Amino acid sequence: MMMANTIRPEPSTKTGERLLDVKGLTIEIETRNGPATIVDGIDLHVGKGETLGIVGESGCGKSLTMLSMMRLLPNKIRVTKGEANFAGRDLQTMSNSELRKVRGGDVGFIFQDPMTSLNPVMRIGQQLAEPLIYHRGMSKAQARKRAGELLRLVGIPGAEERLDAYPHELSGGMRQRVMIAIGLACNPQLLIADEPTTALDVTIQAQIVDLVKDLRDKLGMSVVWITHDLALIAGLVDRINVLYAGTVVEDAPVDALFANPSHPYTQGLLASIPKLSDERSIRLSSIGGTPPEPGRRPKGCPFAPRCPLVESICHDSVPSLEGLSQNGSHRVACFVAQRKLEAA
Amino acid sequence: MSVVPMTDTAVEIEPPVSLWRDAWHRLRRNKLAVFGLAVVVILAFTAVFGPYLTPYDFLSQDLNSRNLAPSLSHLFGTDDLGRDVFSRVVYGTRTAFLVAIVVTFIAVVIGVTLGALAGFFGGWLDRIVMWLTDMTMSIPNLLLVVVINASLKSPITSWMESRYLATLNPLYRETIWVDFLLVFGSMALISWPPYARLVRAQVLSIRSRPYITAAQALGLTNRIILMRYVVPNALGPLIVAVSAGLGTAMVLESAFSFLGVGVNPPTPSWGNMISDGLRVWQHYPHLLAAPAAVLGLASVAFSFLGDGLNDALNPRGAK
Repeated sequence: MMMANTIRPEPSTKTGERLLDVKGLTIEIETRNGPATIVDGIDLHVGKGETLGIVGESGCGKSLTMLSMMRLLPNKIRVTKGEANFAGRDLQTMSNSELRKVRGGDVGFIFQDPMTSLNPVMRIGQQLAEPLIYHRGMSKAQARKRAGELLRLVGIPGAEERLDAYPHELSGGMRQRVMIAIGLACNPQLLIADEPTTALDVTIQAQIVDLVKDLRDKLGMSVVWITHDLALIAGLVDRINVLYAGTVVEDAPVDALFANPSHPYTQGLLASIPKLSDERSIRLSSIGGTPPEPGRRPKGCPFAPRCPLVESICHDSVPSLEGLSQNGSHRVACFVAQRKLEAA
Repeated sequence: MSVVPMTDTAVEIEPPVSLWRDAWHRLRRNKLAVFGLAVVVILAFTAVFGPYLTPYDFLSQDLNSRNLAPSLSHLFGTDDLGRDVFSRVVYGTRTAFLVAIVVTFIAVVIGVTLGALAGFFGGWLDRIVMWLTDMTMSIPNLLLVVVINASLKSPITSWMESRYLATLNPLYRETIWVDFLLVFGSMALISWPPYARLVRAQVLSIRSRPYITAAQALGLTNRIILMRYVVPNALGPLIVAVSAGLGTAMVLESAFSFLGVGVNPPTPSWGNMISDGLRVWQHYPHLLAAPAAVLGLASVAFSFLGDGLNDALNPRGAK
């Protein structure tokens, strides 16, 4: 399978054509002490053909935002405010049957854990065929043929024979490839990959990242890749959103983010990536403290309690996401970083 | 950029081993389960073909040879009307299987439907179903069946009689079906709650598994998710329960026949044979021993099979 010659069209970030546009999405969870806000008015957008990386530590609301956007979460977790527009239509207000057409049809998902995200009692081929029959109205025979093609596309050896295998007969890496094939089955416009490599070992991780990259370039879709591993996606994504406690704290093109990380949280994340050049005796850098629990968010900047650069204003008011660069493509929500820019 | 490894050559692919085939291999290694399965198969065969193979009709009386001890011409002897006990036991197998299968089938359909809906959708539906389940289980089984049979049987029978007189349709003469209907209905009524509870508990745990979210993310409807993703994954424990439940239903039917609220004579049922035999067991023990032994054997076989299936389908729980 040669893909070396595929030329990837320039993502339409600049033209501003947004495939996914999340505005002020607020998500609450019902607890014994009443509702607690977990995601507080998040704004995100993904351009046509663009690849967005969403980065942040565990529990900062990365997956939650994506899942609740598609209304895939249990009743205890609710979107209380905001909208999530996909191709101009609000996913929060559309009917269940319309939403079902978007799920799997226009938006494909790859989940975190390939070991448990496939139905253990259904053959691979059938699980692949399901969305094709349902969304594309294919016959069983057509769907099976296409399922075989999809397995070949994601690089599963002996694809046709594998159609009759059950998930437990495949390795983790193979299962994740099957998940990707299922996510891609209906040629979605948007692929949401929710930490798809977390459960895999490092060599397989790189293979999966490269695979998605290839497929994206070939199929021309937009991708949202959720991860806590900045280094892993550096070569894959166009733009990165850094999430902290349910808000975007920095939004930047990938190169600008690595060259000039502006939010102290982003700086901390980047500093915590071990480098080969480091002395062995050096302790790995980490950010002290833990993210605020839902319902116990500080009044000011959510990162203030852990921030090395904290000032008095940070405890009182919440910084908004403001443009740092000329064209506004690099934005940060931090008083200190914004003031530095003004001073310069 | 060609990162997708395509190693088409020399890839060894084993034939797919399904979960069921795996379970079958494990079941075959379990001696008790194989014994149980063998007995169940023999009994099932007897239930289907037995009546064509017996030397005597189960109804034919021979008043010259009453209460005979077991011999070569009458394997289990004869009863007080000179009927061949072996033939009656064989025919009773048919009754037992018919009752067990129909009752378990109805109970499973009701139980799985209610349990799956309650577990999957939760909320008020769940509360109503669980309330129904608890209520049904709180009424003593025997009492409920006795009340249903005692109170409904004669009105239905007399209604059928009046319909027959009015229409002369011979269908209304077949009161044996009233018997079966009442027995099936009342037994199914008391048998479904355990299935509903089991399936609900299974569904509750399956509902939160990632592959259900994955199926929802594929845009599949709740109906498809429930029928293709949730229920099949809940089948293992259900199969075990059904296997044990078939045995229980046979014992239950015998108990009701014994009490006179089950299948009525002259249709042979192990229960009413035991009941008859009990009256004369000091003089003719074979009349009690034959049906009781077969009932015991059937019950034990189903329970061994159920245990074996349990180990085979839940390998992690097995030694």
